[in-house]
Amino acid sequence: MKSVKEVKRKEYYIFSPFLRIFHWIMVAMILVLFFTGLIITKPMNVSTTEPFFSITSIDLVRDIHFVAAFIFCASFILRIYGFIINKGDRLFPRVWEGHFYSETVEVALHYMLLKSHHASFLRNPLARMSYAALYVLVAIEILTGFAMYYMTNPSGTGGMLFGWVNVILGSEMMTHIVHHYVAWFIILFAIGHFYMVIRAEFMEGESEVSSMFSGKKVLAHVPKDANELD
Amino acid sequence: MKQRESLWEAYLKRGFSRRNFLKGCVALTSLMGLSSDMFNKVVEAAETKPLPVVVWIHGHECTGCDESFIRSGAPLASDVVLTSIALEYDHLLSAACGAPFEAHLDEVIQKYNGQYILAVEGAVSTKDNGIYCMSGGHTFTHLLDKAAKGAAAIIAYGSCAAYGGIQAAKPNPTGSSGIKMFVGGKPVVNVPGCPPIPEVMTGVVMHVALFGSIPPLDGDGRPKQFYGNRIHDTCYRRPFFDAGMFAETFDDAGSKAGWCLYKLGCRGPETYNSCGNLRWWQGMSYPIQSGAPCIGCANAHFWDEAPFTDRLPKYDKIGDADKIGVGLAVATTAGVVGHAVASVVQRNQRDNLLEDENHDEH
Repeated sequence: MKSVKEVKRKEYYIFSPFLRIFHWIMVAMILVLFFTGLIITKPMNVSTTEPFFSITSIDLVRDIHFVAAFIFCASFILRIYGFIINKGDRLFPRVWEGHFYSETVEVALHYMLLKSHHASFLRNPLARMSYAALYVLVAIEILTGFAMYYMTNPSGTGGMLFGWVNVILGSEMMTHIVHHYVAWFIILFAIGHFYMVIRAEFMEGESEVSSMFSGKKVLAHVPKDANELD
Repeated sequence: MKQRESLWEAYLKRGFSRRNFLKGCVALTSLMGLSSDMFNKVVEAAETKPLPVVVWIHGHECTGCDESFIRSGAPLASDVVLTSIALEYDHLLSAACGAPFEAHLDEVIQKYNGQYILAVEGAVSTKDNGIYCMSGGHTFTHLLDKAAKGAAAIIAYGSCAAYGGIQAAKPNPTGSSGIKMFVGGKPVVNVPGCPPIPEVMTGVVMHVALFGSIPPLDGDGRPKQFYGNRIHDTCYRRPFFDAGMFAETFDDAGSKAGWCLYKLGCRGPETYNSCGNLRWWQGMSYPIQSGAPCIGCANAHFWDEAPFTDRLPKYDKIGDADKIGVGLAVATTAGVVGHAVASVVQRNQRDNLLEDENHDEH
């Protein structure tokens, strides 16, 4: 067995700093939003009978939730700016290319343990599909979230921009419920994502974990899409 | 039929003074949710506009909205009905009945074609050609068609007329729905609530009566002056919400102390109505004030959003979404651990196979 130093490796730079900063803002904000959201749905028990001594403050928790939501939304500016200046930061998988589907199926078969291995990718097509799905979930959260937030003044600009969400869902209570349920799906995604990244790092020799810090994938093998750096 | 008179003429006829009339106009201005600089316009309208003809029909409903309407304190419902509008047809309030009464409706529709205000209470029952709601020997869909055609404006009183109401609850056996889609594109003012607040009912009809136009509406067709705020944002218990002080059950100390009912499923944060500021029965109280969480009766589909005493729907014995979410998260975690183990086993098998092949080659 060769030692680590003897193995020839090649660097593939794919993630711009803007994408990486966006990613970690997203991680932090999703956690903040999720847990403050749970508290807002079911506020903690009060342990005092005098308002003056009340230690819990739903007002504060709500403010944290709203600030985190605005930061999260604003961070998409980084994501999109990164996409503009660095073609490696793709926003969505290239679903219009035919080989995308066969490759997705191949990876899926391997993950279902039906195939012993799958081709190596800089951009794992199945993972990319899951990120697109995450964006859909996040979009639902943003739409339903603002639909509730801005309806304190239904005739204001925000109410005009997002009020239709409540109409489509039938009622504002349904908007609350959808917002709450989709939050859980995002957490389920996060668990799966966390596992798959670590699995790719340790079992398939992909530098998935470090690339989200350094922007580079340092690989001993040549990935199938090695020529798609841009 | 006699000449239609204006509000001022009605006052004169009854021997009220000018001062009384102006006082009445001040009251009207504030009741309609208008600012005081609209006062001159109200006086002008009350002096010159003939009292509007109102046709009030009832569909698939419980007449609870009428019960609310007749309890309006300011203006008194009797004042509205007797001096402020010319109520020509009303199932509930009319003394007449039978064939002459129905004939009178046809007469009114013809005579005031394009001028009268149509007030509708109750949903439209659409299933099986509308046979689940009959009125005067015809289906209500027929009556609504007939009455809506010549209406200048339509007021949908109550959640039934606005959204279908409780009879539209799943599985909606009678195919009940709000009237908006069945009035041929006529302007509809939605006045939801189960029932609406009495003063809101009289306020809306007075606005239409005096100005001859419908009040400013929000995206859902509700008058902004009465449905512009969430109950949560006008609730006198809101400070307890902000401070995190909640009643946990209906008989705990928090409940007795009048704390926020949010954890008991209060729909105040989703409901647009004037309960928080106008309140009911001349400002006496409203559900939250009497310790009952709001059920959101002015919302579309509120009837399908049980349980009213919880923030999240419950799924039988499994519990609510949070319990299911925790369960799914644990299951997902267990799944990925299992998958990791299986992946390691698979890789080892693959490596062994490769090794065997290598041995064979040498």
